[in-house]
This record gives sequence, structure tokens and C-alpha cells, in this order.
Amino acid sequence: MSDHAQKSGADCAWLHYARPRPHWYLTAQADKDALCVSWNSIRKAATEKGAVSQGRFHIRGQHDFETVEIWRFPSSQAAYDHWQALVEARYSEFFAFSNNIGLEMEDAVK
Amino acid sequence: MSALTGDTDVFTAEGADRARACVLFLATRQDDLPGIYDASHEAAINGVLDELVAEGWIVSQRCVFDPEAPNVPMGIDTGFTHSHDLAGVFEAPSLDAALAGTVRLEKAGWVRAFKTEWLIGLREFSPVFGKGAHSDHEWAFLALWEWNDQWCEAAVDERNDYDLECDEAFKGDLDHEVNISGRMRFDIAHHWHHLGYWEIAGPDVADSAIRGHERVADFKFTTSRHIVGRIRPLGDLIAPKKTEGEGHNV
Repeated sequence: MSDHAQKSGADCAWLHYARPRPHWYLTAQADKDALCVSWNSIRKAATEKGAVSQGRFHIRGQHDFETVEIWRFPSSQAAYDHWQALVEARYSEFFAFSNNIGLEMEDAVK
Repeated sequence: MSALTGDTDVFTAEGADRARACVLFLATRQDDLPGIYDASHEAAINGVLDELVAEGWIVSQRCVFDPEAPNVPMGIDTGFTHSHDLAGVFEAPSLDAALAGTVRLEKAGWVRAFKTEWLIGLREFSPVFGKGAHSDHEWAFLALWEWNDQWCEAAVDERNDYDLECDEAFKGDLDHEVNISGRMRFDIAHHWHHLGYWEIAGPDVADSAIRGHERVADFKFTTSRHIVGRIRPLGDLIAPKKTEGEGHNV
């Protein structure tokens, strides 16, 4: 976790599950490349605004989705802003998804 | 807040001054043994609900249609036809408040009584009133849906044509005296993209209205989950099932 995330009062986890929709496999490589450049720039912009990416992990073996990205955002609103930027860049048209937001548990299990 | 699609004849984007987060809960009782959930937990939950109301939450969708209606926590009794026992829709001042509020309710004792799916999102469209709308609707219909792969692959013109076709069905809903509390989006924190909340006169109304959506092939581009229940005070729905000392199973 970054210093920024540790200092944030509303540190919010964002889990993003994704798999390509079928027509992604029919999309021209040049178009795919351009889309990926756009989406990666959005991810980079999020980190510059305080988000921390823990990585993208392959989970197809135990899940309906192919990957899970694990993020921490300064707030759930910041997570939403990131997701909305991806939606506007047509990401959700090409990838099926399921998302979660979550706050860190403050107490040990009682 | 950005709406996922543009305005239609029936729906218009919610004004920025009324931007709110929303919470949908689907809860199944798990307090099968005495001592799991008692009056002290119920009182603590009601205390949190009072706090949320004081903080600007809307805990009855009736208030979305009529701001003068009492803002008393209401739930939807769904156990007669769904695997979960109750549902409900709240609105919170912000996404962060919505998320934190669910945790506060859970900590107050909700977690002991219920296993719950909390869906958290944002209000998109303004409420719409059915023709001849009245305020004695005692039933609610919830529609969760997401665009499927075919919608995502479709050209913009195809999607716009589809929206117009669906609008015909939504006009049919209004003919059924259905009040639609706008549209909420849940894609930030779920796989469902949207929620629609309807006030209806009974389950038959939902069935008849949904046949109209089938006629316009609404479901060619969406996967959906529909929930019907009777609107009741949430306080009644979260009451402990039995008193301390009663050990019988039900």
C-alpha cells in the first residue's frame, strides 16, 4: 500500500473481474491496440491521482471471469470516476465485468 | 453522475442537484438458533437507521415519488417467491456514505440476522409516474439488468432503435399505473448494470407489464433478474423471530 493510500481516510478497495466479450476476438488488432492504449492511459491517470494497482491476476481456472484486477482508491467516488472513464472509453463494450467496492475491516473477527 | 445511455421519451437524467447514491439489499434470515439475534441488535439497527435518516438518507422509495411522504424505513417482503426473505432500496448522500452505511448496519447486528447482498450504485434517471398514478401501491417490483454481449457488439443505431422499442414497453408500464423511481446504475460495484424500482398494485401487474417488454424483444439485448414483493415497514421485517429461550426449530 502506498503512503497516499495509508493516509486516506476512506481507503476503498476496488475489485474488477473481467473477460473479453466474444466480439473482442473479431476486433482488428490495430483497433484492439488503440483501445488498450486508451485504457492503459486511464489506468495510469488513476494511479497519478492516488490509486494503487495491486496487479491483474489470471483466475479463469476457478471463475467465470478471466482476470481480476485489485485496486485501492482514495474513495469509492474515485473508484467510480476511474470506472466511468473506462466505460466512456468503450471498455465495458468489449469486456464483460463484475466489480466490487469495499472498506477495510477495522476490527479483528470477533 | 454520467448516465450510461441518453434520455428517452420516458426517462430523463436526474438533475445534478438531486444526484444520490443508492443501496439495494437482498437479505436472507439466518437467525435460526436462539441467541443469534435479539431485541438489542434490532434496537441497534433501528438506531443506525435513525442516524442515516438524520444524515440525509432516503429510506423509503415512496419519498422519491412524494418528498412529503414519511421517510420511514420500508422493506419488501419477498420470501413467498424468492430465496431471499426481504429486499429494500435506500438512497444515500454519496457513494462513500452508501458504502459506509451498509457497514454500520452490518455491525449494529444486521450481519447476525441476515446474510445479505448489498448492491451500491448511483441514481441515473428521474422518477416517472404512471398514468392515473395513486399512492396506495402496496407492492414493489425490482428489475436488475445488464446489457449482454449482443448489445455490446451492436452498432449505435441498433442500440438507439432498441431504446425506442423499449420505450414503447415502458409507456405500457405507465399504462399499468406503474410508478418507476427512475433508473439506478450498479456497474461500479456489481455485474448488474441497472436497477429499476416500480410501485405496483400487485404481482399480476408486473407479469402483465413484463409481457409488454417481451413483445418488444427487450430481453434480446439484456439479461435480467426480477423481484416482486409486498412493501412493509422494515421494522416489522427485521424483528427477531423468537424470544430468548425458545429452542425449537422452524
